[in-house]
Amino acid sequence: MIQEITRWADALSDSEKRRIYEAYVDTWEAKIGAFLQFDTELGLSLPRGNGSLSGIPFAVKDNIAVESFRLTCGSKILESFEVPYTATAVARLMEHGAIPVGKTNLDEFGMGSSTDNSSLKKTSNPYDTKRVAGGSSGGSAAAVAAGIVPFALGSDTGGSVRQPASFCGVYGLKPTYGSVSRYGLVAYASSLEVIGICAQSISVLKTVFEIMRGEDPLDHSSLPYPAYHAEGLQAKRVAVLDEVAGLDEPVKAAYERSIAALKSTGYSLVPVTIPSLEYVLPAYYTIATAEASANLARYTGVAYGRRTDWAENPEELIRKSRTEGLGDEVKLRILLGTYVLRSGFQDQYYIRAQKIRTAMRKDFERVFAASDILLLPVFPTLAFPHGNDGMDQFQQKMADRFTCTANLAGLPALAFPTGLENGLPTGMQFLAPPFCEERLFMAAERMRHIFPEIHPEGYREDWR
Amino acid sequence: MDMKELEITASLANLELQVDEMVRFSEGVSRMLEFFSTMMEVNVEGNEPTTHALLSNNRSREDVILESGCDMLKSAPEREDRFIVIPNVL
Repeated sequence: MIQEITRWADALSDSEKRRIYEAYVDTWEAKIGAFLQFDTELGLSLPRGNGSLSGIPFAVKDNIAVESFRLTCGSKILESFEVPYTATAVARLMEHGAIPVGKTNLDEFGMGSSTDNSSLKKTSNPYDTKRVAGGSSGGSAAAVAAGIVPFALGSDTGGSVRQPASFCGVYGLKPTYGSVSRYGLVAYASSLEVIGICAQSISVLKTVFEIMRGEDPLDHSSLPYPAYHAEGLQAKRVAVLDEVAGLDEPVKAAYERSIAALKSTGYSLVPVTIPSLEYVLPAYYTIATAEASANLARYTGVAYGRRTDWAENPEELIRKSRTEGLGDEVKLRILLGTYVLRSGFQDQYYIRAQKIRTAMRKDFERVFAASDILLLPVFPTLAFPHGNDGMDQFQQKMADRFTCTANLAGLPALAFPTGLENGLPTGMQFLAPPFCEERLFMAAERMRHIFPEIHPEGYREDWR
Repeated sequence: MDMKELEITASLANLELQVDEMVRFSEGVSRMLEFFSTMMEVNVEGNEPTTHALLSNNRSREDVILESGCDMLKSAPEREDRFIVIPNVL
């Protein structure tokens, strides 16, 4: 077992220690609201195996199924839904001894960058509770930053693991598309999303990823993970964009410090241009909303989830249940997706977006022919304030441009902390070719020696 | 997007919109569609559409019943024995 996380296993090992640990969790929860459900008793009661994660508690974003826990997706339409099965990724962790202790808050169905789009709870940043934890996996990132769990699962459709990880000063891995089974992950945009990990250290991230990855007969888009590429260890060339515009000053400073850090650790810098970057956002949102409109058609109030009180006929039952149960941002995306898929509009939007996606893939093939990894910012701002002082939905979408590229191209990406600016965490990300996660871990490990480890005020290793 | 188009789209999506929502969503959808239209500037000639980043072919499995071992029916909002109850169809 990884030495640095044994204290979490110890915290659950007897009832007195558990009481102290739970008091610590309660103190944080009153401030940050990371969990929609926290229940160590329930987690401990589930069958589990033995292995490198024996007795280690972890948290799961509430759009990933864990039997006996609720699966709300942060939505009123699933508010009381208890799921009768467990996601493959979670089951594999449990087989290695890990204990799911709670379900974390998220933007409804993963749609947002702040977790403020949750219909069920407000989650705040552990470094400043007036600010958001990021999203959509905001609860997972906040729980890890506060030291409640050593790692938490999230899902990344366009940056939903990496952005909150960087807002909360932890590591966030978006694995190669298909490398982790999506069985048990509630579908939003199937061609883009993957289950990812927030963690406080690279060794934990790596252990968890190695357990979860690999083909799963229950997910036909999952892929066998190829044998380890030894040449990854020789990775020495980092691609950096010729020009990065639109970063807020503190983020720009962190970006420049990261470039300097890479130079000082012996990487050679390869300046690159990625012309398709200018059009990734409209392509990404066209594809994401189109897929969302199809995937979310399943919420009808018929077989599961919230049903309207009264309806005259089945059609009205479906319309009313959806209208009452879904939030505004979800409705907006369903409407957009329905529109771009309507007959007559497909060539103009959906097909064109998929062709831009091809152009992007070609751009990345070119970049990785000349380099081993790519450095990119995660988000152009620091964690922003809740409400009207922050960013509106449109501004948030426009800020996804550095993260959604990895999803469109299916590439692995790892957000790593780069210290504090104005008292708030900053983070950058590395991207690599498919199945080259090892290069990301190695590069982040090098950066760890340059950027000091950060923790929010109130973080305790002894829970007291 | 004009109100007529929004009404058709909402009906296809099985959503009901109140008058004030119509105005709000029409603004939100129009703003995004305008943004989507910037894709028209890109020359995409010679690019085949990418549906999935890393999938090249379809995969199928044997046509056999898999035992899930879980009772999905217990999640139904209203049921009678093995049947889910919905309002009258006729």
